[in-house]
Amino acid sequence: MNTVVVAQLQRQFQEYLVSLYQQGFLDNQFTELRKLQDEGTPDFVAEVVSLFFDDCSKLINSMSRSLGRPESVDFKQVDSGVHQLKGSSSSVGARRVKNVCISFKECCDVQNREGCLRCLQQVDYEYKMLKTKLEDLFNLEQQILQAGGTIPQININ
Amino acid sequence: MTVEQDCVALDQFPVGMRVLAVDDDQTCLRILESLLHRCQYHVTTTNQAQKALELLRENKNKFDLVISDVDMPDMDGFKLLELVGLEMDLPVIRVTHGACDYLLKPVRIEELKNIWQHVVRSRFDKNRGSNNGDKKDGSGNNEGVANSDPNNGRANRKRKDQYNEDEDEERDDNDDPSSQKKPRVVWTVELHKKFVAAVNQLGFEKAMPKKILDLMNVEKLTRENVASHLQKFRLYLKRISGNQQAIMANSDLHFLQMSNGLDGFHHRPIPVGSGQNVLQNPTDLGKFHHVSSLPLNHIDGGNILQGLPMPLEFDQLQTNNNKSIIAGNSMAFPSFPTQQSSLPNNNNHLVLEGHPQASPSAFPGHQINKRLEHWSNAVSSSSSTLPPAQNSNSIIIGHQFDVSPLPHSKPDSLEWNTQNASSSYSIPFCDSTIPLTSSMNTNPRAFYRTTDLDSNANVQPGVYYDSSQMRQSGNYGPTTDAMLSSNPKEGFIVGQQKLQSGFMGAEAGSLDDIVNSTMKQEQSQGDLSEGDLGYGGFSSLRTCL
Repeated sequence: MNTVVVAQLQRQFQEYLVSLYQQGFLDNQFTELRKLQDEGTPDFVAEVVSLFFDDCSKLINSMSRSLGRPESVDFKQVDSGVHQLKGSSSSVGARRVKNVCISFKECCDVQNREGCLRCLQQVDYEYKMLKTKLEDLFNLEQQILQAGGTIPQININ
Repeated sequence: MTVEQDCVALDQFPVGMRVLAVDDDQTCLRILESLLHRCQYHVTTTNQAQKALELLRENKNKFDLVISDVDMPDMDGFKLLELVGLEMDLPVIRVTHGACDYLLKPVRIEELKNIWQHVVRSRFDKNRGSNNGDKKDGSGNNEGVANSDPNNGRANRKRKDQYNEDEDEERDDNDDPSSQKKPRVVWTVELHKKFVAAVNQLGFEKAMPKKILDLMNVEKLTRENVASHLQKFRLYLKRISGNQQAIMANSDLHFLQMSNGLDGFHHRPIPVGSGQNVLQNPTDLGKFHHVSSLPLNHIDGGNILQGLPMPLEFDQLQTNNNKSIIAGNSMAFPSFPTQQSSLPNNNNHLVLEGHPQASPSAFPGHQINKRLEHWSNAVSSSSSTLPPAQNSNSIIIGHQFDVSPLPHSKPDSLEWNTQNASSSYSIPFCDSTIPLTSSMNTNPRAFYRTTDLDSNANVQPGVYYDSSQMRQSGNYGPTTDAMLSSNPKEGFIVGQQKLQSGFMGAEAGSLDDIVNSTMKQEQSQGDLSEGDLGYGGFSSLRTCL
């Protein structure tokens, strides 16, 4: 194991992760998620976020359909979708996604289709962005492990 | 389950409690499952309410508790709850990211660790002949309403630095219902003697609240009072290693002090760690007084104080001659300032009962505080590696233990090992030069810093829960046992408890306390930051992680 390389990777990892928090992509719930991961469940976080992204994709699609035709928007369905999305995003610590959901819900409450569409678009953007970021993060993790190191714990301020 | 079974079953809770988790959101379900596993519950999951019902109907005794999301498409969570409650008499906890109910999403591990209490409580309620309305589902509705305001506020809140607070609120709200407005029974020595006599007469193993109640023949004492007292008593006895008989003989006082402390202290424990209440500078005796004026008034003043110093710097104590800290051993805790001190008032010893103390140097008091905070924060942030340590009972520190720091490896679960363990990390009580007598343990809450732990403050079972959880979790490394058994004197001494984790939970194995003292030692000397006793220290903790 090349300790220098490992140390470097670990530092990179840490910085990257911290930046995700600082930029608001993640919040403490994500931290907790990480804590739930251990030797027995080494892929826990990856698994959960992957489930989350699946959910996002499905929900966004169904909401998009509901909002599709201006003359017959099923706001109830949209509302239910937003609600679920909000729940799961807060469960994984996807802060930005969750925040959009809050606005989204407001638009839904007043049956503002335009607003909903905007939010939908934003949610889509945010979850994909987060997905990319987390993929990068997991890559870093893999690199560390492959280099023989261990994944450092977070140091979040 | 009958009361008898309940009492016995208490011993088995919460590990292995069988939970059925229902949530149509697969992400949340997965997380919930993992959290529950962390709590060592036995988990079954399903994302369909119908399926859940089927599973439940299949075998009514298969599950102890149901946790269900309320916003599910195929069936309203409320309906599920209703059906489950009616048909199966199981307590159901609802999860929502909405405005009310027990658990808000994101579900945190700390909350899950408490859920078993719902089981116990609902069973006790049931056994008391209360109707379904008293059960969690029923009372939950009331609670739900009552909770809606605070919870509403929280609904959109990110769970950043609020673990403790959130949990406190939830816990307080959630756990009050069954005991609404019941006047608390104070277990006096006399009463306790009767209780013990009854228990002995019935046989400890067979003693059941109803029978004990009958034997005691005390007016206005309810079965529930007895039941909770019995539970505490059992916990207490469990904590005492070895020689139960002898201890019991002498333990009435200790136990009562402890239990009364518990009883009295329902609400937030003194947030010792928080800036306000902690002695932040050496001469801040005034703060001590301040502390004593905290809403723990109903607790024996002495208790609080006794507890307080624990995490505080010894230096400070020294300056104050420890007079306010030394806890008398007697049942009657004098008011804070006048606490009698039968102890040699040495510098760093919250000496109790004259037990020899280790040198102060072993106890970097200040740091411990900070560490405690950090640790508590970490814990509260639902580190699954840490036991809930809900009750602050025990900062039973180093009672007659070998005070010199022992090179015990820190429990990995606490992730302290990742940190440079320069200081010999020893079990807190060993290191602490603040030996606390059992009497001090009476108010464990005082030690309890982090608010999240407060969540159990109101719930008897919480105490139990913690200790058992701690014991069973087995995550906490160090060899407490050896150390613990070295000082068998005070029955109440935490040290005697064979906590695997090395946490001496006097009452409720306050992990926090132990961690605190441990943490203190860990931290480098230079890491004193006066006043940084609040949650601000969070970042430090993070470093260790």
